[in-house]
Amino acid sequence: MNSIFYLAIQIAAIVLVAPLVNGLIRKVKAFTQKRTGPPVLQMYFDLYKLFKKEAVVSEVTSWVYKVAPYIVFATTLAAAMLVPVTTLLVPFGFPGDVIMLIYIFALGRFFLALAGLDAGSTFGGMGSSREGMISALMEPAILVSVFTVGLISKSTSVLQMMEGSKSMGIPLSHPVYLLVFLALLIIIIAETARIPVDDPSTHLELTMVHEAMVLEYSGRHLALMELGAAVKQLVLITFVVNVFLPHDQLLSMGGPGVIAISLLIYLAKVILFSVIMALIEVNTVKFRFFSVPNLAALSFILAFLGFLNQFVLS
Amino acid sequence: MTKIYLDLLPALILFSSFILVSNKRIASYIRTFRFQSLLIAVGAGVIGLETGRIDVLLVCLLMVALKVIYIPNLLNSTFANVTYKVEKDFFFNIPILIIACCLLVVFSYLAIPTADGIINVQVANLVSAVLIGLIFMITRKKAFGQIVGFLVIENGLFATAMFATQGLPFIIDLGMFIDLLTAVLVMGVLVFRISDEFDSVDVNRLNNLKG
Amino acid sequence: MGLLLLLIPIIAAPLFFLLKNRQLIYRLSLVVSASLTVISLILTKEVIAASYIQYAVLGGFFYLDSLSIIVLDIITIIGLVASIYSIGYLEEDLGRGKISEDQIRTYYLLMYVFIFTMILAATVKNMGIMWVAIEATTLASVFLVGFYSTKESLEAAWKYLIICSVGIAIAFLGIIFLHLSSLDVLTDAQFLDWVALSEHAKALKTPALRLAFLFIAIGFGTKAGLAPMHTWLPGAHSQAPSPISALLSGVLLNGAMYGIIRTVTIVNKNLNSSQFTGQFLIAIGLLSVGIAAVIILTQKEYKSLLAYSSIEHMGIIALAIGLFTPQAVFGGLFHMINHSFTKSMLFFATGSILHRFGTNKIDKVKGVLKVLPVTGTAFYLGLFAIAGVPPFSIFASELGIIVSIFVDGRFIIGSAFILLLAVIFTGIALNLFKMFYSDGPEPEGEPLKINPAGTVAIMLLLLVIFTTGFYMPEGLRSLIYNAQMIIMGVK
Repeated sequence: MNSIFYLAIQIAAIVLVAPLVNGLIRKVKAFTQKRTGPPVLQMYFDLYKLFKKEAVVSEVTSWVYKVAPYIVFATTLAAAMLVPVTTLLVPFGFPGDVIMLIYIFALGRFFLALAGLDAGSTFGGMGSSREGMISALMEPAILVSVFTVGLISKSTSVLQMMEGSKSMGIPLSHPVYLLVFLALLIIIIAETARIPVDDPSTHLELTMVHEAMVLEYSGRHLALMELGAAVKQLVLITFVVNVFLPHDQLLSMGGPGVIAISLLIYLAKVILFSVIMALIEVNTVKFRFFSVPNLAALSFILAFLGFLNQFVLS
Repeated sequence: MTKIYLDLLPALILFSSFILVSNKRIASYIRTFRFQSLLIAVGAGVIGLETGRIDVLLVCLLMVALKVIYIPNLLNSTFANVTYKVEKDFFFNIPILIIACCLLVVFSYLAIPTADGIINVQVANLVSAVLIGLIFMITRKKAFGQIVGFLVIENGLFATAMFATQGLPFIIDLGMFIDLLTAVLVMGVLVFRISDEFDSVDVNRLNNLKG
Repeated sequence: MGLLLLLIPIIAAPLFFLLKNRQLIYRLSLVVSASLTVISLILTKEVIAASYIQYAVLGGFFYLDSLSIIVLDIITIIGLVASIYSIGYLEEDLGRGKISEDQIRTYYLLMYVFIFTMILAATVKNMGIMWVAIEATTLASVFLVGFYSTKESLEAAWKYLIICSVGIAIAFLGIIFLHLSSLDVLTDAQFLDWVALSEHAKALKTPALRLAFLFIAIGFGTKAGLAPMHTWLPGAHSQAPSPISALLSGVLLNGAMYGIIRTVTIVNKNLNSSQFTGQFLIAIGLLSVGIAAVIILTQKEYKSLLAYSSIEHMGIIALAIGLFTPQAVFGGLFHMINHSFTKSMLFFATGSILHRFGTNKIDKVKGVLKVLPVTGTAFYLGLFAIAGVPPFSIFASELGIIVSIFVDGRFIIGSAFILLLAVIFTGIALNLFKMFYSDGPEPEGEPLKINPAGTVAIMLLLLVIFTTGFYMPEGLRSLIYNAQMIIMGVK
């Protein structure tokens, strides 16, 4: 009974905070560009409005088109269960769940790409093929970084990775962790469709990737897609901040008071990380699509160097 | 704790060499070089504070003055003044190049720790940085790419010496700096002459001498 | 006294830039190089008497023993001849409008900085400073290679600069490993001091030392023109003004080789066998000779051909050091001296040919003996000498090396070596003798002004290589013998 309750808090926390991250990043970008920008809570308003609206479905589409938003959202929710926000809030830990996490995301992306193709518009197909390429490029880097962290903590469970890194003191002062952290930073930027790889705020046909795939969606379908993307982003951020910047309460067992404090610290870390991501986005320009492999290669190298260093240092 | 910092910097220096390999524009070469030099200067500073040697701290300052500020600026202004300029210097598929460099790193990891314990992961990282500098130099075809490649090799050597020996004797450091500075000036002048004579700074055009 | 060797050129170099009168510049240059030669000869006497010289200045960095004095003497003597020959050469260039008077000042300035850096490399006992000096030799001579500012010479200068800088950089990596291998053995004051290193060679850490040798051999090997890192050499030697070609070929290559020899001594003493260094040096030496042989056969330009011949001779020296038997090392050192004298004489002679015929190409040069009777004859005889024909000295040293290969029982290497030498002889005969035998029309352009001093200098060199072919003065013999003992680690 308790575990279901905790799970509910975990999912609620992630789903509720997710749009905030987007709002925050937009706000920071606006601030650095000397604009006022939309309010931090803008995405909540958007979602509310979209959920109220009717969803228009093209006549030429198949069932995939209608099912995809639900599957995409459901996969991100499933992923949200695997990454502990604080330790107590996760009853779902098992060895290998980090690999599960990666492939749950892959399932969501698969349906997203199918949905992009289903409507038969040029943009959707283009977006799908690009998305496929980016994810294929990022895959080796993701696996190597996850396994490297796993090697240090001798486990492939998210929970134990967090425990392992916490025992290092400040993990980021350790070369292996720093290298893998940088690799994951690049991966997150690519996975969440942010600037050097994709521009989330544009509908300029030639450059969009993620936006192109959801171009045909409207109403609650679009809301689910957008929310799914935001949740995915937050899950990835949660993974990174909790593994690389573990806080004291993260692993302690305690009552609601401890959980509340832990949640607050978690929130602070997420905000910090969002600001960093926003600053990266402000300071880079979008790459040509054919330069993305270079970025992927760099991220792979970071993870791989971490891996090598781990071997020699241990 | 400092031990870990000292492990950290070589890894980052090595990574900056990888960034260099993935760069395509001459302006970004120079920026990456500046960044790498800054990392090495920080390394020299940390080592200087650790060992309490004034001359190493002095080297850190020299490093900042020369390699972080003066030489990159000099290169930028040389680049701005060369008549025939192409910003892009692109020769080889970059991901493949990066993977090749990756193999080099594996190679130096395999080759170097065999030296019974006295050679550590820092040296392995920095030697790989030197080797990557070599690859960079071979694969870039603009004179500027080769100059930056040379500078990065020199950087890697300097860092290797710094981290392996906890600071060389000052006289050798000084000699290296003087050599380096002269080398850069000489290369700069030569680039001017080549660009005047060949209407290009493309090293591929330098093929009059055969056999 | 020895410190004057370093002080004189570095003080004189800026003077060349300040003097306005051309004749004064020439005279100053003669005085400087003559005094350098005199000092180095006096020091040679001291070294023969006392086996080594060291001054207490600046932590005793100045150190000379029989090995370094050989390198030093070559530097100063070839430097003197080059400075004598340069006068006529530059006057000729000036007369033909190839250079301006300002360039003469630059020429002398750079030449003496170049000589200074080479003297420094030969006289310090710290590997680190030696490295700095050898890198500086490249930087000092780049603009001498690119002196004429033609497309070809700029290209040669660029390649020279880039390839040698990178090579030297790799050598530094080796020096770092050398230091690492000595980390617990030597005190701070003995940092990279090769006297101390070879004294404590047994205690050094072997794995790091092996890496050090490989890096140093490749790095300094680049500068010494060993194949396959030789690619800068033909361009630089053929494009530089002839006196500079002579200095590059006769002096600079030795300096880099000297660095390798010092390392080999330490490594072999540590490993207690010469197998590791030997395999590497013999392979690289034979490869150099082989590549030079192939290219000499098909070469079209006489200065490039001589440059490839330098690669060949450096390969022979590497081979001799790689064998590491007393006789081979003796032969190698003697060969180093002979090659320097012979090759620089040949390059001096090409200067006159280049001026008179105005071309680098072999097939455009005809009837040298008729057009330039004196220099032509010297060049002709010099070619026989460089190809290893008795009674010239190169024959004597090559013979010594070949005999030592067979005495060592390495028949395959020995036969391959003899075969390659034969190919090279054929190549030189086929390509270069055309210049003498075929009759052609008198080349256009005005005849050369007579350069008596230069011609005398060439003749003197010819005389030296002729006499040392069958008569070796006792002083020279004992000097080489002592150097050989140092290399073998006996002393």
